[in-house]
Amino acid sequence: MGKLIQNGIRIDGRKFDELRPVKIEVGVLKNADGSAYIEFGNNKIVVAVYGPKEVHPKHMEMPDKATLRCRYHMSPFSVEERKNPAPSRREIEISKVTREALEPALILEDYPRTAIDIYVEVLQSDGGSRCAGITAAAVALADAGIGMRDMVCACAAGKVDDTIVLDISDVEDKEGQADMPVAYLPNLKQISLMQLDGKLTAEEYEECLNFALKGCLQVYEIQKETLQKRYFSEVSKSE
Amino acid sequence: MSEIKRKYVLPGDYIVDGNYRLLLNAIKIGNSIHSTRIGIAEVSDDGVRVIPLSGVYIPRVGDLVIGKIISQSALAWDVDINSCFIAHLPAQDVFEDFNPAKDDMKKKFNIGDLLTCRITAFDRSRDPLLTVADKDLGKIKEGEIVKIAPTKVPRLIGKRGSMIQTIENITKCNVIVGQNGILVISGEDKSSIELTIKAIKIIEKEAHTPNLTQRIKEMLEKEKV
Amino acid sequence: MSRRSSIVIEHLRQEQMEALLKVGKRLDGRGLTDYRELKIETGLIKKAEGSALVSLGNTQVIAGVKIEVDKPFPDMPDKGLLICNAEVLPLASAYAEPGPPDEAAIELARVVDRGIRESEMIDLSKLVIKENEKVYAVFIDVSILNTDGNLFDATSYAVVSALLTTKIPKYEIINNELIKTNEFINMPINTIPISVTMAKINNSIVVDPTNEEEMCMDARVTMTVDEANRVCAVQKGERGTLSIEQIKEIINLAIYKSVDIREKIKGVVYGKEKEQ
Repeated sequence: MGKLIQNGIRIDGRKFDELRPVKIEVGVLKNADGSAYIEFGNNKIVVAVYGPKEVHPKHMEMPDKATLRCRYHMSPFSVEERKNPAPSRREIEISKVTREALEPALILEDYPRTAIDIYVEVLQSDGGSRCAGITAAAVALADAGIGMRDMVCACAAGKVDDTIVLDISDVEDKEGQADMPVAYLPNLKQISLMQLDGKLTAEEYEECLNFALKGCLQVYEIQKETLQKRYFSEVSKSE
Repeated sequence: MSEIKRKYVLPGDYIVDGNYRLLLNAIKIGNSIHSTRIGIAEVSDDGVRVIPLSGVYIPRVGDLVIGKIISQSALAWDVDINSCFIAHLPAQDVFEDFNPAKDDMKKKFNIGDLLTCRITAFDRSRDPLLTVADKDLGKIKEGEIVKIAPTKVPRLIGKRGSMIQTIENITKCNVIVGQNGILVISGEDKSSIELTIKAIKIIEKEAHTPNLTQRIKEMLEKEKV
Repeated sequence: MSRRSSIVIEHLRQEQMEALLKVGKRLDGRGLTDYRELKIETGLIKKAEGSALVSLGNTQVIAGVKIEVDKPFPDMPDKGLLICNAEVLPLASAYAEPGPPDEAAIELARVVDRGIRESEMIDLSKLVIKENEKVYAVFIDVSILNTDGNLFDATSYAVVSALLTTKIPKYEIINNELIKTNEFINMPINTIPISVTMAKINNSIVVDPTNEEEMCMDARVTMTVDEANRVCAVQKGERGTLSIEQIKEIINLAIYKSVDIREKIKGVVYGKEKEQ
């Protein structure tokens, strides 16, 4: 122990409550109704949203709301050893929790008999790719103009060398003691994704959750800046 | 008219506190009203609305749209109106006392035809229904097609049509504006059509900026031949 | 699947459920934090190295453990292998269909696996025959026989009970040859992890939801707790959300409920061993 934290500084030079650098761009894919690109640490992820659109296959159509579908996929070259391009069980699970993290924010009842498709493609992976994917997907959904009760921002916290830290990197995930990805609806103050790998006491759990929520709020600010720059920057120029 | 407060908002953003009516793209969280879209929030005595700046076209009854016939069944034409719903134009709307055994639908419209139509019915459970039975509706015979983001259409039209009239008056072109973001421009000569398209593209790009009508007017006056 | 069955639930029943929840009661007469009757039977499949049949109310699952000898993963040469899988059999309900596991079944297997793995229930370092070359591989397969809600806990209890009663046939390497001896070794156990699944229905939190309750729930949280009362694995599922206060409530609830269930499993597993 003590490998990952020395003198209060983490292995990549961060403080306990410091995020990795985050950069988001909007409208990166011309064909998509909404799209976003995110760099979250060494994660590089592109997200496309299509919809509301016609539902294929037809039997997935729902009479009272839109059918929300989500695919989280890792490119074969996104990891150290080539990943088989067929969806793994891990990717299927992450697709499910990503969809469930975003769904409470979406007003699907406004779009009956349609489909909304979210494609999360991980081009380069690092720790916390599901959180980065959810964060970018929320921006892409706003860009697509889907009605949203709130934004969704996501960030993980965890335990490394017996210390609770924010935003677990790849190394910290593999060598650390716990990883807790969280997604948050910041205005509704609701948690829509919560998972945990690793051991925490009840007290540590609360501390870790509070850390993750602080990270989520920082991510939320970056999401807002990105969208404001894309949609409203001409305003500030001319005013 | 009471005062209207305007504000640029993102989904989840706080707009105002209090007991306002929720007119468009706004929801209540506790006692405060928040936006559900990227757009411009307008707070007036009527209530709160957010004019969206992004999104695909969702049909509304009364909308004028431009669509293309993509197939024909025994009783109706199916029309692509740039939406997630395929619209239907019943043959009854075009023929008096339509009789599928006697009347040849092909005599009126064919697959591939472009139509200007109005949406007469649409709800959560039914696809949009169209009519061409009014003046200025029906088959489009000439003109240049331009597509813009459907969310920018209200800005292109302007308050009581001020923007589109400004353009038409200066360029002497005729612009049919579909609420679904499809436009048909016809005019005397190629250069004035091109100038019209240029103005439309500027409006699409700078839809949310102030004094746009004035700037478009100046640009058109300057470049008019 | 959930969609189609949700049409089946009667609206009157849902209203009744929600009215009862407000006064702290449930349709089947349980309190909000009561489990259904838990029945565990172990060692019933003689061909498997360990097995358990678990009934949680009407939910019924069977778990079997098979031990094989395999090469270790290259990044963990000094650890045995643990592979957990779950399948909802077509005979389990009118809505189950044959075919590859859907996302719900994959989530189930992965969440149960995570609870066993992250709690370090099994000391995998003791499952090595020769480092870098031969280790024991523990395959746990779970078949869902009848579904009536809370597959997560029923599956987890079946896996835990089966592992606790597993006897590993001992292998040795003699003159570079792998030889199966007549001896057996006990599964090296560190802790007994207990999965506690809670459902949020209309802002009420209930434990051990039935199928009917799952059809109405907004969100589901499964927490796995070890013997030191630490939370080892968590999965929030479904489209609803939770507030911070609700999460604090369910952490304490999960820790509290896990104690009784662990005693129950210990009673069945170790009580039986004493009889033999």
